[in-house]
Amino acid sequence: MTGRLFFVIYKEFIHIVRDPRTLAVMFLMPIMQLILLGYAMTTDVDHLPTVVLDQDLTSQSRALIEAYQASSYFDIIRHVSTEEELRRVIDKGAFRAGLIIPTGYGQNLENRQNPQVSFVIDGSDPTVARTAFAASQTIAQAHSLELAGQRIGLSLETLPGVAVHTRVWYNPEMKSVNFMIPGLLGLILQFMTTLFTAMAIVREREHGTIEQLMVTPITPLELILGKIVPYVAIAFFGLAEVLIIGVLWFGVPIHGSVTLLLAISTLFLLTTLGLGILISTVARTQQEAMYLSFFTLLPSIFLSGFLFPLEAMPRALQVISYVIPLRYMLSAATGIILKGVGLRVLAGEVFAIAVFGIVIFTLAARRFRKHLE
Amino acid sequence: MLRRTLAITRKEIIHILRDPRSLSIMFMMPVIQLILLGYTATTDVEHLSTAVLDQDQSVQSRELVDAYRASNYFDILFYVATEEELGRLIDGSEAKAGILIPAGYGRRLTADHEASIAFIIDGSLPSVATTAFSAAQTVAQAQSTALIERLYNIDVEAELGIAVRPRVWYNPDMKSANFMIPGLIAMILQVQSTLLTALSIAREKEEGTIEQLIVTPLRSMELIVGKVMPFVAVSLFNLLEVLFIGVVWFGVPVHGSVLLLLALGVLALLVSLGIGLLGSTVAHTQQEAIFLMFFLMLPFIFLSGFFFPVEAMPRVLQWISYLIPLRYLLVITRGIILKGAGITILWEQALALVLFAGAMLLLAASRFRKQL
Repeated sequence: MTGRLFFVIYKEFIHIVRDPRTLAVMFLMPIMQLILLGYAMTTDVDHLPTVVLDQDLTSQSRALIEAYQASSYFDIIRHVSTEEELRRVIDKGAFRAGLIIPTGYGQNLENRQNPQVSFVIDGSDPTVARTAFAASQTIAQAHSLELAGQRIGLSLETLPGVAVHTRVWYNPEMKSVNFMIPGLLGLILQFMTTLFTAMAIVREREHGTIEQLMVTPITPLELILGKIVPYVAIAFFGLAEVLIIGVLWFGVPIHGSVTLLLAISTLFLLTTLGLGILISTVARTQQEAMYLSFFTLLPSIFLSGFLFPLEAMPRALQVISYVIPLRYMLSAATGIILKGVGLRVLAGEVFAIAVFGIVIFTLAARRFRKHLE
Repeated sequence: MLRRTLAITRKEIIHILRDPRSLSIMFMMPVIQLILLGYTATTDVEHLSTAVLDQDQSVQSRELVDAYRASNYFDILFYVATEEELGRLIDGSEAKAGILIPAGYGRRLTADHEASIAFIIDGSLPSVATTAFSAAQTVAQAQSTALIERLYNIDVEAELGIAVRPRVWYNPDMKSANFMIPGLIAMILQVQSTLLTALSIAREKEEGTIEQLIVTPLRSMELIVGKVMPFVAVSLFNLLEVLFIGVVWFGVPVHGSVLLLLALGVLALLVSLGIGLLGSTVAHTQQEAIFLMFFLMLPFIFLSGFFFPVEAMPRVLQWISYLIPLRYLLVITRGIILKGAGITILWEQALALVLFAGAMLLLAASRFRKQL
């Protein structure tokens, strides 16, 4: 049995090595994803290009502009003199926000008559807009407080009030890359194994070579295992790549046990390999296999909480997310790497991953055998 | 010439129709992407599950907790008695935030007019954490203002409160669907057609049927045009499909000219077809074509500003993003649909697409001819 299994693995390795370009892509893909997600995925909005229309031109209006400039949220790059001009530069997308201080602002402030300003925000990107929206209010609020302090003769530091000492746990600098790396691990495991396994089996069928394998004494189980093992190896290599680059280059701290992470990853592979085998029993061509893999991958990416927080989704999608295996893998990887928690806290996740793995893999193996016969 | 091109187009359509499953996936894919993006793509987290450790148990501490509850950002779901318990809830992801009010908070607030609390935030998801961070500060700031008003008998809000009237342009409700759907249109024009073109030519190569086509009187230009025609049609159909569902189901307002969108969409398709052709001259097999396109599309999607604002990226990536046609196309689709922008505003982006299309098609055609 092991001898025959070994030969199937060997044959599959030859296939892979013979196509060095694909092999290179397999190894480069995780690095590329890591770099792209590590650097490009940031929703922290700061230094938003901002345009000012100051119709008041008093010392008070300048003080307000300075308060906005001093915050890291807005970069006041340009002053315009008409509303049309302001509209045009924001229409073009060159500026994302605009502060309009109307005539009489300084006068109203002196007379304590509730001064008003307008703040224009380009709402097309809601994430950016929401941050800008909140920041525009907070800055004005703080400025009001400072003015109130001046009036009663106190500086901002000596003003009475409640001080909030915020402690951000697990990821104190709130760096996106710290969140991306655990997520990427799960995603790479799923992406590589499901797609590659499905394509490898379907290619064999498309070329008709699967019949040749069937007339040999190789059993279906050996055939499956033999075809899977090389891709498992590649997936683990990708996982190691991401971990090493994540730690050495991006400085992601690993607080928990790497052994536990590897163990849970292996358990998760049952699910993703099972999916790949299932797809191979449905798809007739490589193109179909690719499409079907995508089809399973898309909901996984969007409903696992990898890109967008689950809490923000509609109820119905939150419910669906419970049948997405990647959701549990993501939460386990985040728990181990960022929070340093152990099996006791992650018992629920591990159980879910195990159930998915056993059910999907058994189903896949059974369908595969029937398919061969 | 036209007849030969049409013959190839017919052959390609027969190929597509013969595989109804792939065909239905081609049309279903944009719908699924639309639904996923339309509903999931939001970082707007409210009602964060929050645990409270109130060691003070005073009127003032309860007032503060109420203020946090009223803010809409925090749902006070747990009251705990020890810090360990608080830690366990946050470790297990049951609570994402914790308010820790130390003993003596109320007394200090009445005596010294100054007190402090600790606010713990689960930072593992940065987009959620940053919102929670500023919300935590804002609530306390409002409390402080109320305190000052009481102490000094002035009405900060009425007298000195600078009222900021926000005007959110283009997308007043800040709905993520309004942002994602124009983006998805751009993505379909770019990604799907590129992949389909590269695959269809790579398949002919893999199966060896391309040699049969070469020995016919077909010229390479006719072959290319004939082969890509059906994909142009599929892509344009998908564009309208997404636009239609976006408008009817998600209520995305289309402020600009649909005609201009279609015209620039065709221009963008030329770029995609050029890239797809170029890819097919490099790849020998379908698998290679798929990987190659993946490899290319990843930076396209992430560096173009589709998910994340280009301005927030490091300088180097911002420079690279200028080489990505999808970047310009996104400005165009979002500009037309959300801002109602016309060609006078979008001419720079359109010009960039023209240059890309010219360069890609010329390069692809010359490489393709050489290979044949």
